[in-house]
Amino acid sequence: MLEVQTSPRDGASRIGQAEHDDTLLARNSRIAPGASIVVRIRRQSNGGDRYDTFNVPYRKWMRVLDALNWIAENAATDLAYRWICGSKMCGTCAVRMNGREVLACWEAVEPEMTIEPLRNLPVIRDLVVDRTPFENKVARLEPWIERPDAYTGFPEPLSHKQMKDASKALDCIGCMCCYSACPVIGLGDLTDFAGPAPLVQLGQTALDPRNSPVKVARSLALTGIFNCVSCYKCEEVCPAAIPIVSRVIEPLKAKAAQLLPEHARHSRALRRIIAERGRVDPGALVLRVQGLRAFGRLPRIIRLLLRGKINPLRTLFGTKTTAAEPARRLLGREVSQ
Amino acid sequence: MRFAYYPGCSARSTCAELNVATHRVAQRLGLDLLQLESATCTGARELRAIDPAGFYTLNVRILALAEREQLPLMTICNTCTLNLLDAHAAFVSDEKLSHAINGTLAEEKLKYSGRTKISHFLWVLYENIGEARLRELVTNPLTGLTVAAFYGCHITRPPLRYGFVDSRNNAALERLAEILGCRPIDYSGRTECCGFHTAAHDEKVAIKLTGQHILSAKTGGARAMVTPCPLCHTVLDGFQREIESDLGQELGVPVLHLPQLVGLALGLSPEELNLDRHVVATAEIARIAGKNGAMNAAE
Repeated sequence: MLEVQTSPRDGASRIGQAEHDDTLLARNSRIAPGASIVVRIRRQSNGGDRYDTFNVPYRKWMRVLDALNWIAENAATDLAYRWICGSKMCGTCAVRMNGREVLACWEAVEPEMTIEPLRNLPVIRDLVVDRTPFENKVARLEPWIERPDAYTGFPEPLSHKQMKDASKALDCIGCMCCYSACPVIGLGDLTDFAGPAPLVQLGQTALDPRNSPVKVARSLALTGIFNCVSCYKCEEVCPAAIPIVSRVIEPLKAKAAQLLPEHARHSRALRRIIAERGRVDPGALVLRVQGLRAFGRLPRIIRLLLRGKINPLRTLFGTKTTAAEPARRLLGREVSQ
Repeated sequence: MRFAYYPGCSARSTCAELNVATHRVAQRLGLDLLQLESATCTGARELRAIDPAGFYTLNVRILALAEREQLPLMTICNTCTLNLLDAHAAFVSDEKLSHAINGTLAEEKLKYSGRTKISHFLWVLYENIGEARLRELVTNPLTGLTVAAFYGCHITRPPLRYGFVDSRNNAALERLAEILGCRPIDYSGRTECCGFHTAAHDEKVAIKLTGQHILSAKTGGARAMVTPCPLCHTVLDGFQREIESDLGQELGVPVLHLPQLVGLALGLSPEELNLDRHVVATAEIARIAGKNGAMNAAE
């Protein structure tokens, strides 16, 4: 029986995990009942911004939410935080704990915790953020199904395979952990990237085979999806364990490449270069994607030339390699449009 | 110890010094590398999104080339490593896909049965050389070099592949830096993203993101950075002048490829490791390595 290569617990790719208690079990068992935990909370209201520190008595299996509830009941009755279900369903209690996005209702406390509101959304007070920018983005993307043909009646002939990616997106509880963790969203208006959470909301219907390609194209055109840097920060913090990059953003990129080829210039140019040459010369990629705009970086081009890092002849004409023939055979055909 | 060796595209073009350094260091470590000459690009991030079938076929072909030689596969690029791990996972989990790929590879008389072990150079150091042997091989400890390890993304995320609840807990590079005699620092950018994967169409994201990381490393006292990924290196080193302009301040932080840092500690010279091929001057690192080398020789 062949197996997926996962990282063995004692393998080199997991160095650091044991000494940092980086497993769920270790995180849940690092404090003894009766001990006291130190909780620093960022408090923001009416222009004020400070950290308050609280000592909270630890109870077995204590969650971040339990600590916040204890503080609100015993030490700071004016603490603003949000929660409804307490069981990883409503998605309202997300905060940053020691620099990591977590659901307060689902995360074990740590001996020393700094709790902050999510990033990339305006703070209303303390740990409560304003979700309006996210909601406006989602509404603009029109996350619904428009059928190209008339409804044929129930049941519709849908297979699990056809819905495999959309069904992952449907696990989203809208907690905004990914939106807070995304480094591109953290750069504000620098790009038009919609961000992981709005893309997951869109993926629920855009990856549904019943949706009209015209409608999906209209939505995708507003997402700036090719500005995703594939850093997997969103996947790392998703409490619903949605493979956001591989099962939502990449399938949406594939749709965008089909429906809006001009948006996928970078990806398409890379594919063409591999198909022609087998390997990618980064200079050739930049030249094909940017055209003459690439020469706007003349000082860098000169620096790279002087260091022997780029070779204009290789960039323009390629070099003969034994990788070219197999690549041409395997990728020669353009991806079907 | 023999490995099929996959350098990837960057190490054969803009980061050719990485390939040179890897071969020289491998020789010192007793690693026999069989470079897979006909191996193609793994497709970076772009191919896997727009042409999954092509992506899987290219990557499984690389795994099949290694399997034909009955050798484990060593990589030196984060993204190539993750691509190969992902392709392997898809191959062994989807019988229809594996059958289709092997059908295509049969034209070249290649077949993959799913047995190639994929390992990045960083992991090879621990798993195949071992910490004890590595310590013995360090003839020129880099004492006095305060170094900021920059992991990048694809060697520590996604959690599905690497198993970290919090990828910041990865400590492989810092532990290695200590073995080599350096003093690793803690800083906010360690496992953050360099933005390389969107830089070909718009480099402003890479410039902004990486600016934060280099600045945090410099503020933390780093005299150099080290990375296991040539794509990160391209941004950290190749874009550093533009990053300085964007920040409005000088950085001048030299950035080493991981095999270069290892090579210096193993007694290879900066010239042998092509340290002069970097955009940001590496003279300070060469000076520290040279001074320590001279002191060791005197002893």
